[in-house]
Amino acid sequence: MELPESSAVSLRMKTEHYFDVVRSILDVFAPKKELDAIYVTCTIPSASIINALEVLEIPVDHIWFVDCISQIMMSAAQKHEHAIYVESPTMLENIMLKVEYLIRHSPGDRKDVVILDSINSLSIHNNMKILNEFLHILVNTLRSKNAYTLIFSMEEYETDEVRQSVNLVCDQTISVKGD
Amino acid sequence: MPATVKEPTPEAERDRCRTGIEGLDNLLNGGIPRGNTVLVTGSVGTGKTSLSVEFLIHGARSGENSLFISVTESSEKLLANLIHYDFFEPRLLKEGRLIFMDLPLIYNRLGLEKPEFDLQDTFILTKVIADLVREMKTKRLVIDSVTSVCYRLKTQENIRQFILDLGSSLSSLGCTTILVSEISPGAERYSLFGVEEAIADGIIIMSNLERRGDLLRTLQIVKMRGTTHSRAKYVLDLTPVGVLLVPLLKGGSITAG
Repeated sequence: MELPESSAVSLRMKTEHYFDVVRSILDVFAPKKELDAIYVTCTIPSASIINALEVLEIPVDHIWFVDCISQIMMSAAQKHEHAIYVESPTMLENIMLKVEYLIRHSPGDRKDVVILDSINSLSIHNNMKILNEFLHILVNTLRSKNAYTLIFSMEEYETDEVRQSVNLVCDQTISVKGD
Repeated sequence: MPATVKEPTPEAERDRCRTGIEGLDNLLNGGIPRGNTVLVTGSVGTGKTSLSVEFLIHGARSGENSLFISVTESSEKLLANLIHYDFFEPRLLKEGRLIFMDLPLIYNRLGLEKPEFDLQDTFILTKVIADLVREMKTKRLVIDSVTSVCYRLKTQENIRQFILDLGSSLSSLGCTTILVSEISPGAERYSLFGVEEAIADGIIIMSNLERRGDLLRTLQIVKMRGTTHSRAKYVLDLTPVGVLLVPLLKGGSITAG
């Protein structure tokens, strides 16, 4: 997968390919390009993703999580040192602030890739008007910081509105197929 | 068609005192005009003290003597919070670049330990603060909070005199000042006594905004003499790398809190 510098890409996938996509980004794409990965999770708690990465023996040294779902679930899961938490996926400004914080906080000169998982989950909690505004500001801010943006979209849950919104801000769409 | 487009400026460009808070400096087109007295106002828990302390630390780091006069909270308590900042260096305190001072101690030394000040007391207080700034060659000053000082001044005339005298003395010394002001949540004016806001060169309002049950910390520059500036509302976060700002998203229903 070759992407232009600082590009924003929509990754459309079926739910069954979800973990393969996560693995290929965090274990292949980001290390190969020497990127720090900032993973914004609004779908499943960061602890579940971290557990899956541990099973797959993928190190999390260069991966940080903005977890927008654990607190709303009122879960008492132990906090991971590579995860920061946003109280609710409706606090879109706070998601941007946490991403900004992690970009500034990450040591060294490594560039960043920000993964938004997923637009469908965010659309459950937010109306499209505010979500469009959020995507527009987030993607353009990340572009100005030379960071890649990858936006996950689950085909099964995609509406026309969501697709249009993502298409508006992304440079390209990659549909993940079976093999 | 003009060859170049130039932003209209209300006054000639003035030297800037960069706050060091990147987002805020951008909103202010480079920083607070040097010598301005700025009211940072808001209700409890909105980040007024954190923003003010960060302004001083960045000043001290860039070689400007910075003074925090604490009225309500003890300096010890404030100092304990400094270590959480990635950009704080203890040497700033050792070298005297960054000084924390408790106003009640100054009251004590001046024999001003009384609940109410008359005009004479107000003059003494203003003079002492200006003398401190002059002697210490202070370029950045924070008084937290001016509301607590104003409680003792009682009359609007005294408050007006205090802020006018203080502002002009400090400005002539090239000192950029933040006066922290406390207001009740949802208050319709920017200061408790209504006088401070009219006299200050700048007003930055910090508040809590409730949107569908979420409470967001916000910042808005209402007034700043000597520069063009943003007038939009921003959401802020208090982090170990300092105050971060992003635009407030306007979609969805919003009610002020």
